[in-house]
Amino acid sequence: MTNLLEIKHLSKSYNGIPALRDINLSIPAGEIHGLIGANGSGKTTLMNILFGNPVIEATGGYEGEIYFNGQKTVFKNCGQAIKQGIGMIHQEFALIPDMTVAENIKLGRENTVDFARRLFGPSFSFVDRKRDDAGARRTLSKLGIDIDVGLKIVDLTSNLKQFVEIAREIDRSDLQLLILDEPTAVLSSSDGWQLIQILKEMSARDIAILFISHRLEEIQQVCDRVSVLRDGRLVAQYDKKDVSINRLARDMIGHLVEKASADKRDIANRPIITFKGFAVDMPGEAIRGLDLEVYEGEILGITSLSGHGKLALGYGMMGMYPVEGEVVYRNQRLSRMDARWNIMNGMYFLPDDRRELGIIADQSVEDNIIFTGNQVKNMFMTGFLGSFPGFVDRAQSRWYVNKMIEDFDIKCRSPKQKVKELSGGNQQKVCIARALTVDPALLFVAEPTRGIDIAAKEKILNMLIQINRSRNTTIIIMSSELDELKRVCDRIAVMVQGKVFKILSPHASDVDFALALSGEEGMPYEQL
Amino acid sequence: MSSYKLKPPQIIISLFLLLLVIMAASMQMDLIGFFNQSIVKLVMNGVLVLSLIPMLNVGAGMNFGLPVGIVGGLLGMCLAVNFRLTGIHGFGMALLFSLLFCMLLGWIYGLILNRVKGREEIAGIFIGYSFIPLMNYAWTLLPFTNREMLYPIGGQGLRPRISLENYFNHVLDDLGVITVGAVEIPCGLLAFYALIAVFLYLFFATKAGRAAIAVGENESFARLSGINIEKTRMIAIVISTIIAGFGICVYAQSYGFIQLYDEPLSLTFPAIAAILIGGSTGKKTYIFEAVLGTYLLQSIYLLTVPIANAILVPELTEIIRTMITYGIILYALLIRERRGAER
Repeated sequence: MTNLLEIKHLSKSYNGIPALRDINLSIPAGEIHGLIGANGSGKTTLMNILFGNPVIEATGGYEGEIYFNGQKTVFKNCGQAIKQGIGMIHQEFALIPDMTVAENIKLGRENTVDFARRLFGPSFSFVDRKRDDAGARRTLSKLGIDIDVGLKIVDLTSNLKQFVEIAREIDRSDLQLLILDEPTAVLSSSDGWQLIQILKEMSARDIAILFISHRLEEIQQVCDRVSVLRDGRLVAQYDKKDVSINRLARDMIGHLVEKASADKRDIANRPIITFKGFAVDMPGEAIRGLDLEVYEGEILGITSLSGHGKLALGYGMMGMYPVEGEVVYRNQRLSRMDARWNIMNGMYFLPDDRRELGIIADQSVEDNIIFTGNQVKNMFMTGFLGSFPGFVDRAQSRWYVNKMIEDFDIKCRSPKQKVKELSGGNQQKVCIARALTVDPALLFVAEPTRGIDIAAKEKILNMLIQINRSRNTTIIIMSSELDELKRVCDRIAVMVQGKVFKILSPHASDVDFALALSGEEGMPYEQL
Repeated sequence: MSSYKLKPPQIIISLFLLLLVIMAASMQMDLIGFFNQSIVKLVMNGVLVLSLIPMLNVGAGMNFGLPVGIVGGLLGMCLAVNFRLTGIHGFGMALLFSLLFCMLLGWIYGLILNRVKGREEIAGIFIGYSFIPLMNYAWTLLPFTNREMLYPIGGQGLRPRISLENYFNHVLDDLGVITVGAVEIPCGLLAFYALIAVFLYLFFATKAGRAAIAVGENESFARLSGINIEKTRMIAIVISTIIAGFGICVYAQSYGFIQLYDEPLSLTFPAIAAILIGGSTGKKTYIFEAVLGTYLLQSIYLLTVPIANAILVPELTEIIRTMITYGIILYALLIRERRGAER
């Protein structure tokens, strides 16, 4: 087999700080090559070089050689890389929000009306929407997705956006090398498996795939060979038969990870909150008629396939989207969702989209942690006239924040450091610290471990367990990570079509969960 | 503030100012005189520039609807003059009347801006431009009675320029002036300026102020945290409008005239140019940036005129002044766009 891509002695540094050191890597056509590494190990830099991201050129280029199809190549911009047959699925979406799904998938490869093309040439002819739509629909259905291709990207959930991004790349006929940068990081687990099957089909058609992922299980399942990056070095390379998750994990972070897990209990005392026919109108992730009783002091998991409503509950409770139906919270009927009232009365929500909704990126760790407590509950105030004029008691807040930083092991230079400079895991810890400041009785957490590297994930899960046990806080975790839910939760509700389909015990088998997730008649995991 | 980094517009404009100072010195111009004037000019225009900050920080962008607040201030001053209130007492009453008018106007302005969220800057331009003709009718029809304000012939309708000579001309400029050699420091004027700045600083340390900054930085986050977005924006917009009203009062007492009709429109762009020079990027802006920007821009105005007069044809000065204002806005916008793209 000839090598489609060969990288020789590749090094790259940003302002003197090395990001990649002497990488040698070759990928033959039709191979699925896994690339793993913790955050900051140089994966993204490698991708940027391969895909001709202008950032590389702007920061002084790289050393070493890249051969593509046997020819020495330097990718100066993304257009060049695309022309050569390289496709990339980005970790952060590269979609145009105001265009429809079909337009995004067909962007740059539109079908055009024949007559107009002959008259005006391809650049100025009319786009044949019907054929574009049909083509886009066909590609999406290969991925098992059935949505209206006329929807705009802004209105989609992040899971669906990821699918559109994937569809755009697999729709290309000239594709030779596909790079996936953490494609499943935002996909719920079972969607991830579907993607993997498509990748296998593609590799059978001699398309080489470079697959970057945090998820070791996936890598083990799908890849023909796996390379491990650590601190910019290629530390190990395995063939499929030699891959083991433990070994990969050790190579990746240099030590073994202790997994969080809660001892199982039986909790069925009085309910803290009850939903009856509860509906949340969140685009692409709507809840339509939720009936659910949540017991005081339990950790309840909510999971579903993407688009079936697992994420909407927290947003609905905080009044971000219109809601309907009955909610009884501590014997009190809530008619209207008012974020301030709900927080005052002991509810809190940690959103899944941390960067956009969970933090004020430009403010300090301290201000982020005290924000809600200060604004809603008038904590950390100096003052004599109640909350007027409302200056912060810095001595008190500094003491509290320092204690939080110590308790939760938040890695920051000082409480004054800006939150945007912290890693994803530490940002999540800041979010949790802020939640605890208002001392909630009922905590909604959406995708607590999304986009966080494996070592930090377990810490976050342990924090949640600890909060539940020590403060008797009821926690509802909305997540697609079934494995994590099973380790942490007392009960797991599976949602289908915006309703609770089944409530399972965390001891239930994967097959039961797979069946429940797909509404009984789906495909169990073993078939993959 | 400890980690504050100077931004390109601040540095470039400072260098330009330095060049002008050197040129002026080489032509043996009265540098100390310029310095004295520059301090007065700083405060004269500075309060208007400070008034942009609350709206910037709450995420409502540059206040291109500055004429709204200015009109409030003009109404306040006209009322004071109409009642023949003089001296510092008259000026104080003018401020008090402006406060009332600006609260009302700011509230209406806020209601409109809350409906055009995300497009406040362009909406502000048009609110300004449509509000001024409406006020033009008002200035001619309002039943003011002081003959010194009215058109001398016919005795109806306010004059475009009302002299403050007999009322509160230079009350702040002349208040507590300390003279050291040839240097004159108008302490009263500076104290008033400092008062507004300190008020703004304290406001952003209060609970409402911190909520405003959070709304400006991340609105969805604020909403999830139970902040009332509309109310917070309204508070910031009203405060912006009130300070703009005070700003025109300070401007007028320094200038010696109340300028009515289309004049308010001509004050918007210099104020925005000043804050852009100061280093504002259209988001969170420090008071320090507003002060620095105003001082740089006004000093450049001050120096270009005599220098251009000496080197070039006298008529060119007004052209150069306009070119500087608009050129700087364009330049600052370019810098701001590029910085946004890098992010």
